[in-house]
Amino acid sequence: MSTTAPPARRKDLLDIESLTREEIVFLLDTARPFKDLFDRSVKKVPALRGKTVLNLFFEPSTRTRASFEIAAKRLSADVTNLAITQSSVTKGESILDTVDTMQSMKVDYMVVRHAAAGVPAFIARHTPAAVINAGDGNHAHPTQALLDAFTMREAVGELAGRRILLVGDLLHSRVFRSVSTVARKLDMEVGIFAPTTLIPSGRPDYMQAFNTFNEALEWSPDFVYLLRLQRERQAAHFFPSLREYHHVFGLTRERFLECRRRGIRIMHPGPVNRGVELVDEVLTYEHCLINRQVENGIAARMAVLYWLQPAVTPLPDEKEEVAS
Amino acid sequence: MSAARLFHGGLAVDADHAAPRRLDVLVGADGKIERAAPEIKPAAGVEVVDCTGKILLPGLFDMHVHLREPGREDEETIGSGGRAAARGGFTGIVAMPNTDPPIDSGGLVRYVRTLAREQSPVPVWTSGCITKGRAGQQLADIADMQQQGAVMITDDGDPVADAYLFRRALEYARHFDLLVACHCEVPELSRGGAMNEGARSYRLGLPGIPACSEEISIARDLQLARLAGGRIHIQHVSTARGLDIIRRAKADGVRVTCEVSPHHLLLSEDDITDYDTNFKMNPPLRTVEDNAALLEGLLDGSIDVLATDHAPHTEFEKNLDFASAPFGITGLETALPSLFSRLVRTGKLPWDILVRAFSREPRRILGLEVADFREGLPADFILFDPEASTHFSADTMESKSRNTPFLGQTLPGAVVQVVLGAELLLGRKQP
Repeated sequence: MSTTAPPARRKDLLDIESLTREEIVFLLDTARPFKDLFDRSVKKVPALRGKTVLNLFFEPSTRTRASFEIAAKRLSADVTNLAITQSSVTKGESILDTVDTMQSMKVDYMVVRHAAAGVPAFIARHTPAAVINAGDGNHAHPTQALLDAFTMREAVGELAGRRILLVGDLLHSRVFRSVSTVARKLDMEVGIFAPTTLIPSGRPDYMQAFNTFNEALEWSPDFVYLLRLQRERQAAHFFPSLREYHHVFGLTRERFLECRRRGIRIMHPGPVNRGVELVDEVLTYEHCLINRQVENGIAARMAVLYWLQPAVTPLPDEKEEVAS
Repeated sequence: MSAARLFHGGLAVDADHAAPRRLDVLVGADGKIERAAPEIKPAAGVEVVDCTGKILLPGLFDMHVHLREPGREDEETIGSGGRAAARGGFTGIVAMPNTDPPIDSGGLVRYVRTLAREQSPVPVWTSGCITKGRAGQQLADIADMQQQGAVMITDDGDPVADAYLFRRALEYARHFDLLVACHCEVPELSRGGAMNEGARSYRLGLPGIPACSEEISIARDLQLARLAGGRIHIQHVSTARGLDIIRRAKADGVRVTCEVSPHHLLLSEDDITDYDTNFKMNPPLRTVEDNAALLEGLLDGSIDVLATDHAPHTEFEKNLDFASAPFGITGLETALPSLFSRLVRTGKLPWDILVRAFSREPRRILGLEVADFREGLPADFILFDPEASTHFSADTMESKSRNTPFLGQTLPGAVVQVVLGAELLLGRKQP
């Protein structure tokens, strides 16, 4: 673990782009001891005792929400989940109304997921609570990227010079944007493989694009990161059929065997579409990191919650206690 | 009626003079210019308005303004929009017809004109819809609207998606020599988009609107205009390639004019930070290369007109996430100070071109009387103080809405007086 002073604490975590390399490394280093806790019989530390964490999810999620909830509870925070489906919300103003209401309840942290890019940033401007982006539109999913970096580091050690190949629906993926950014900041090489319809324009030029899966595997990536394909994309003409997609862009049995021969690690943010992004066998492969990503998500989110600092000012007579 | 007034000691610019020249203007009690000369001695009984250090410009004209009335009087009214126009130095504006209900009949044109005469300090002309209800299905009563005073037709906010119907609209409008103004966009390509598609939309994770959505539509409309032979006007050009298409059509004899907004000259997608919805409009802010190409087009005359596309929205509408917030920013009050501070003062845009594009050309295109310092014309000019500054805030702006990217900023230059006939429009509380 680095001995230099930890970076100054931020109020919010909205994306990876605004983090420095030092901050990322600090968060990864901080997550390590948290993960070690998980094997103890008592998995809790008192770091956030007396604090309230609100999971504010405007988009359905079970896994990410549970991960944040467990992370907060292992830090001894009190957690409230608020799932607001789009249908019960007339857009916009009501987001602020919700935030105001929650603020009146003196929440210290807000974990926000929303289908529109920029909503966590928008909320962060209107609340003294620390805001963590748990996924906004196609924009960012910073804790996913941190847990992925943590998982990769755990698997191979130093990441500089290592190669990650991102495969699948890059266009509609906040995971793609955040993971490629974290990889770049940690000096990894980034390759991409996707149908041209699902490659976003305006992407930075450090990404190397491949035309076939085999060509991409010849590049010898250390990690193949498969992105989730939303089945409804077919209707919007991004590709003709799931069958053809799997055939050309999926991790078929043959390609999987090639990965195994090369010892390539396989990753996926979950949940997987079996038979679309990958074949079943991948899930039992020794270098499949998918379950590890889930486990590490808790540690990475604990590190984030631990590091952020809400702009809530304590009462004067409390100050000493807080400072200690 | 007040006495004659002598505007004394100022410098003037106009569509033919880039460099400010000494000019005194004597306005008679009837509101007409009696004399305009480098030095006029004040006669007895004449009120002298000291213009030392000020620049006199012909009154500006904005042919692209959303006044929101009828329907969205919470965003703007004809009265508040008219006052915002005066504050910004405009002595004439054209209201867009995308109100609720849309201005698609002679009766509604007449209604808006009547409200304007009652409530606005500056003349307000109105446009009419090309299609009934702006629905793109059926021609509106074009001749009837023209008879009631509509100066152009447009379905602004949307293109007429049906190419056949648009061809017929151009042909029919040609019969009445009525200008057809186009909002160019291919809806299928823009659908869901919130900003220019490119590096910035990638970084912000926002759905993009590709430049070619506009360019394809411009190309289509110009081909149809060539076929139909009518007068066509392309609104708010925002891309370099779109402008090139217009250039080629002009060279080819198509009767086309076009406009650019101050924000498409001055701002780019790079200015969109923090998801500030006051930078969201349609067409969206493009790239810095587009900014440069559009300025070049304005300088070489390929772009005929400056127009603000003043589009007021309430704070609660704009105080949303970027993708959900409505398109549009206000522009009447910020147009001249922003162009002055960023382009005129820095020598990139000569005064004469600004006056041409923001005063003479739009009036000429619409067949209206041009504002100038010629003797016998009604007084129609503004006093601009290049040494003063303008602050943009809720307290200082006349528009009901504050959705401007310049909110909270102070820019060099200030419109200090608007002279319209025998009236001075600024410097006193509203009537």
